[in-house]
Amino acid sequence: MLTDFIPFALNAMTLISILLIVSMGMAIIFGLMNVINLAHGEFITIGAFVFVLVQSFGGNFWIALVVAPFVGYVFGLCLEKALISRVYSNPLHAILVTWGLSLILQQLILLTFGAAPQSVRSPFEGSIEIAGATYPIYRIFLICFALAIFAITAVIFKKSRFGLELRASIQSPEMTSVTGVDPDKINARAFASGAALAALAGVLLAPLTAVTAFMGINYLARSFFVVLVGGAGSISGVAAGSGLIGTLETALTYQIPNTVAQALVLILAIVMLRFRPKGLVPA
Amino acid sequence: MIDFAQTLSRRIARRPSTLVAIAVSLVLLVLPAFVNAYALSSYRDVILFAIFALSLDVFWGKTGILSFGHATFFGLGAYGMAVTGIHFDIDPSIVSLVGLLAGVGLAALVALLVGYFILFGGVRGAYFTIVTLALTLIANHIAVGWSSVTGGDSGLIGVPPLVIFGLSFVDPFRSYYLCLAVLLAFLFGSIAIMNGRFGLILTAIQDDETKAQTLGYRTSLLLLVTFVASASMAGLAGALYAAMNGFVAPDMIALLLSTEVIIWVAVGGSGTLIGAIIGTFVVWWLQQEISSFNASAWPIAIGSFFIALVLFFPNGPVALVSEKLRRFRQKEGGQQ
Repeated sequence: MLTDFIPFALNAMTLISILLIVSMGMAIIFGLMNVINLAHGEFITIGAFVFVLVQSFGGNFWIALVVAPFVGYVFGLCLEKALISRVYSNPLHAILVTWGLSLILQQLILLTFGAAPQSVRSPFEGSIEIAGATYPIYRIFLICFALAIFAITAVIFKKSRFGLELRASIQSPEMTSVTGVDPDKINARAFASGAALAALAGVLLAPLTAVTAFMGINYLARSFFVVLVGGAGSISGVAAGSGLIGTLETALTYQIPNTVAQALVLILAIVMLRFRPKGLVPA
Repeated sequence: MIDFAQTLSRRIARRPSTLVAIAVSLVLLVLPAFVNAYALSSYRDVILFAIFALSLDVFWGKTGILSFGHATFFGLGAYGMAVTGIHFDIDPSIVSLVGLLAGVGLAALVALLVGYFILFGGVRGAYFTIVTLALTLIANHIAVGWSSVTGGDSGLIGVPPLVIFGLSFVDPFRSYYLCLAVLLAFLFGSIAIMNGRFGLILTAIQDDETKAQTLGYRTSLLLLVTFVASASMAGLAGALYAAMNGFVAPDMIALLLSTEVIIWVAVGGSGTLIGAIIGTFVVWWLQQEISSFNASAWPIAIGSFFIALVLFFPNGPVALVSEKLRRFRQKEGGQQ
């Protein structure tokens, strides 16, 4: 019984920890600016391809882990300044612009790297035994690392000055700007940080999946569900949403085909909207 | 009779879009006289896509809520038709009717369920768009993954050709005119409904839903009715498409199609109804030109269009032109 449960718990934790990092950016951006960033999945893809590039220049996982968030941050900042900052007032326009961006980025990556999946080297080979169950070391590392990143982000969100200004802006943008906080700056930094986190998630994911130009889209859909179920603009909402979606999808995948499991998760998210339209833990 | 003609002409003058609708109908009615049978079957497919675009415009254009998942309903219609025709042993004389019913019914049922939960949950605007987008993603996953029923990646071939009450629609002329009749019925039907009381209430909801509620309208119910009607229309277009082309494939229920239909409507100007049809034809022609260049070129063109749409002409290219024309006329008038 226990030997069955441990791999299941670890599989669920792998998905949950990825979802935590990916969804945090999306939830904050949505809570702060009411913008759903449909290009968020492409930041994951970009992170993974940064890893591919770093590897082709002789680098390894650890270098990519440092470089990718930086690339994501700069890229996110440029995009925010050039495009996203113009569409804050209209959520529908934001959806169309970020979707357009997503289509263009996918095709540019496809044209640059080709359609064949890229392979990257995992930093850890082999498995270890935990309470009678063997499990790949890399996944254990991924869970610990992702949880650490989530914890650090949560501390920044709750304790730092930037986090305070961010939370204040989510509650009331007008009042916050009255106290002398520049809303444009907060928005730009929040957007870029979300992009950096997604790019980091891309590096972490790369050894586990096929790295293709379209790899981000699956996580885009899942992180919607996390934000829908958990509620936008709050860290605890992201934790609740990721926990629920990750556990549910892993549990269902054991019993039924993966696609049906995802469909059931969506149905649950939609049914929940009827009863808790603002999510489990609204901001 | 003269009175009638006068009121009619006055009405049309007040609504130039009706005049455009009549002109477009006439062009489509005489088109078969000028093209060969092969081209005619392409035009028939474009007409089916135009029905699909019209279905989105009825919802998006009139309620202001964008559905990013309309390909789900087109695809459900197509798969409903194909699966009933291929997997069930139904009498050939009625298989098309059963298929049409199954396709449209499936689309309507899914729209009813999803619409009930999200519209009555108070979900509007961007959230609605996202949920419907996720719906297409999932529907596509199922179409690809459930291969014993849907044929997986390669889809299904051998959908029985359309036969209704013993009348076969294999002949390209017949199938073209059938689709055109459906399109025109939907077009003039929705113009009449949207210019009437129902359309006015929808406009009121779009302007200020709380006020409309205060006036006693059950806004969620009205939006749901519009959504289900729109989805059924899309389902019918999908079911006809599957029967007339003889196959279904997962790209009929994919995100790219959901995206394309938004463009067809946006190019024609959302909310104009006839614009959706013109937009479909214009974009279809453009797609032929651009796709022949490179496979990646079309998605990049779509992406660029979305960005340009928002940044340069948020009300659609048609609105931009008509705005320019209006200003030009005002200037002319000022000089006189």
